[in-house]
Amino acid sequence: MRLIIRAKPDSTSAYVAHYIIDRIRNFQPTLENPFVLGLPTGSSPLEIYRILVAEHKAGRISFKNVITFNMDEYVGLPQEHPESYHSFMFRNFFSQVDINPDNVNILNGNALDLEEECAMYEAKIKSVGGIDLFLGGVGTDGHIAFNEPGSSLASRTRVKTLAMDTVRANARFFDGDMLQVPQMALTVGVQTIMEAKEVVIIVTGTAKALALQRAVEGGVSHMCTLSCLQLHSYSMIVVDEDATLEMQVKTVKYFKSIEEVAMGRGFEQKLPLRLRTWSLATPPQTPDSKAKRVSRDEECCADLTPDSMSSRLALPEQ
Amino acid sequence: MPSAIRDLYSTPNHSPPRSGITKFTNCRVLRGNELVQDDLWISSRTGKVLDGQKIFFEYGTSADRVIDLGGRIISPGLIDVQLNGGFGFDFSVVPDDISAYAKGLQRLNKSLIETGVTSYLPTLTSQRSEVYHKVLPFLRPSSHDRDALSGAESLGAHCEGPFLSPTKNGIHKESVLRVPSNGFLDLEDCYGADNLKSSSTPIKLVTLAPEQAGALDAIKELRRRGIIVSIGHSEATFEEATKAIDAGADMITHLFNAMRPLHHRNPGIFGVLGTNSARSRSKKPFFGIIADGIHLHTTAVTIAWAAHPSGCILVTDATSPAGLPDGVYDWTNGERIRKTGPLLTLEGTDGKIAGSSITLIGCVNNFLNWTGTSVPHALGTVTSTPAKMLGLEQAKGNLIPGADADLVVLDEVVDEEGKKTLKVEQVWKFGMLVHDTNVDGGAEEE
Repeated sequence: MRLIIRAKPDSTSAYVAHYIIDRIRNFQPTLENPFVLGLPTGSSPLEIYRILVAEHKAGRISFKNVITFNMDEYVGLPQEHPESYHSFMFRNFFSQVDINPDNVNILNGNALDLEEECAMYEAKIKSVGGIDLFLGGVGTDGHIAFNEPGSSLASRTRVKTLAMDTVRANARFFDGDMLQVPQMALTVGVQTIMEAKEVVIIVTGTAKALALQRAVEGGVSHMCTLSCLQLHSYSMIVVDEDATLEMQVKTVKYFKSIEEVAMGRGFEQKLPLRLRTWSLATPPQTPDSKAKRVSRDEECCADLTPDSMSSRLALPEQ
Repeated sequence: MPSAIRDLYSTPNHSPPRSGITKFTNCRVLRGNELVQDDLWISSRTGKVLDGQKIFFEYGTSADRVIDLGGRIISPGLIDVQLNGGFGFDFSVVPDDISAYAKGLQRLNKSLIETGVTSYLPTLTSQRSEVYHKVLPFLRPSSHDRDALSGAESLGAHCEGPFLSPTKNGIHKESVLRVPSNGFLDLEDCYGADNLKSSSTPIKLVTLAPEQAGALDAIKELRRRGIIVSIGHSEATFEEATKAIDAGADMITHLFNAMRPLHHRNPGIFGVLGTNSARSRSKKPFFGIIADGIHLHTTAVTIAWAAHPSGCILVTDATSPAGLPDGVYDWTNGERIRKTGPLLTLEGTDGKIAGSSITLIGCVNNFLNWTGTSVPHALGTVTSTPAKMLGLEQAKGNLIPGADADLVVLDEVVDEEGKKTLKVEQVWKFGMLVHDTNVDGGAEEE
């Protein structure tokens, strides 16, 4: 796991936004080989979307060949409700960029058969070759998507009843009326996220500090589903200083130092040629393609070692 | 100078079938009493405003044309509920060859829309009965074919008279005025029974003087048939005006003009704007204001606006010389109008004002600077408020999904003294661009 620490929420969001842009640009997505992006809603990613939109308007990034999958959606809330995740995504992102509506996937919380809707969602993700980069945030109780404490770490897209904490937190978006807040949601599972080729999480503010501490310094636990990332090969958490308040000074310094070292060695901006190991057009690569890995990073496989994400990626067959 | 209006992209021909959807971006959209930094989606196929989110998710469609308006204002098309004519055409003048009337009307519609007025009530001054029989069929609501190229759209005729007070006739010829002593029967006799059938009437609004015998009965029956009633050219007292409103009148025609002035012991028609809604069951009516700088003192306009902002409707009351050079022009009933700059007077009188020659956007600009109100409030007086008065707020005067995509793109210019001017740059009718000052003005023809 990489932990990137930035001074303020703004610079944290900017780091993530530009990271995503770099990823998409390096991937050079085409109609046949699109980039598949997992997306969250909520206050944490708002600034990221703002930057992505601004960069799009400046002509520096296109989303024409990007397929998106959103993490979750409320059950029973009309799509056009201003608090639905459909509305959020349309307002803050989709309506502002050149994405093809057919490439946008959001769970339908009003589907007649919710379980079937979830199964179809998983199948759809598979059919496009899996998610290349899953962007996410985290709840104060450490939940990722709507996988609240106690969610199985092997879970897949499914119907979830929301924790009282989450309902309470969401009441502010429904005129403070708890009865109006949806009590259920559809959400991708922990395992769905774990299967993404890369996971990037943004965490800002003191309110999330305890959740971050448990996810990074604690053990893997279903009581803090974000901790699942400890088992992911290519995960990165980007945080601001405030979010690190509950972590040990030693941990914070450690992650800062390895970023510094890596930057000093010119790793920071180094991106993999291809994160994705196979595309829609070409069959999956066999594991022995790992043989082509950059030799310099060969020994740097253990976690908590200065490295760049890119170095750990398998290169595609030429 | 603001940045130019730019077509950001149009879908090339080889891409999926054209959706006919245009998205306006980088613009301030008039929504309620606010200018909202937002995008607006319209369809040139249905001619309506779209719900961008709904078409995106439900139909998987996005705009095939994106227009960057460079921060300009996008407002619903303007609505003029009192327009007697313009560009040399008068709705009340019947030519010997009636086909000339249709042609003149077409020309007016095409010229009118360039001023930003996308729909209006062609207004007939007091006439003899046969005039109504001849011209009303031409003035009925014209939206059935939804043809953007026809120009401004009639929402139905406004019959201003002839059931008016002979002492408040203004420039209406006294000899043609009538009293509806037999109530609605006299209206049928005048306008023609066929023209008053609720299912097919070409008439949208009737202005009458409510103090006259039989007028209240006429108001009730007009209302029952879905025709809106306005009080005007009237000697009505406050009490008589209140009775008319209780009987179903919804509007006051050009407030202050051709009615008794406000007196502190007899507040007259103006007094109904002081109705205390908490203590009275009578509602405050809508009211027309001619903000041409000639008909009314600016303070009178400000007072009326302050008394009942949600009822204020700016009208031009423009007559046929509007849009023509100075001179003397023939008018109805054998009379003539002299145009001197913006001032129109009836020949042979001591300077009786004969309508105006101002554009509706000109009225809005005057109003903006006289009252100091906000741009969205000022635009509301010629968009959402008249639409509401006409009962058409779902189709006109509002940029809500399902409403007609009648739009004006306005540039807001503020001079050194803080004077605001709105300039019409583009006009869209039923989702189609029908006027563009940047093109029609010759800038691109050089």
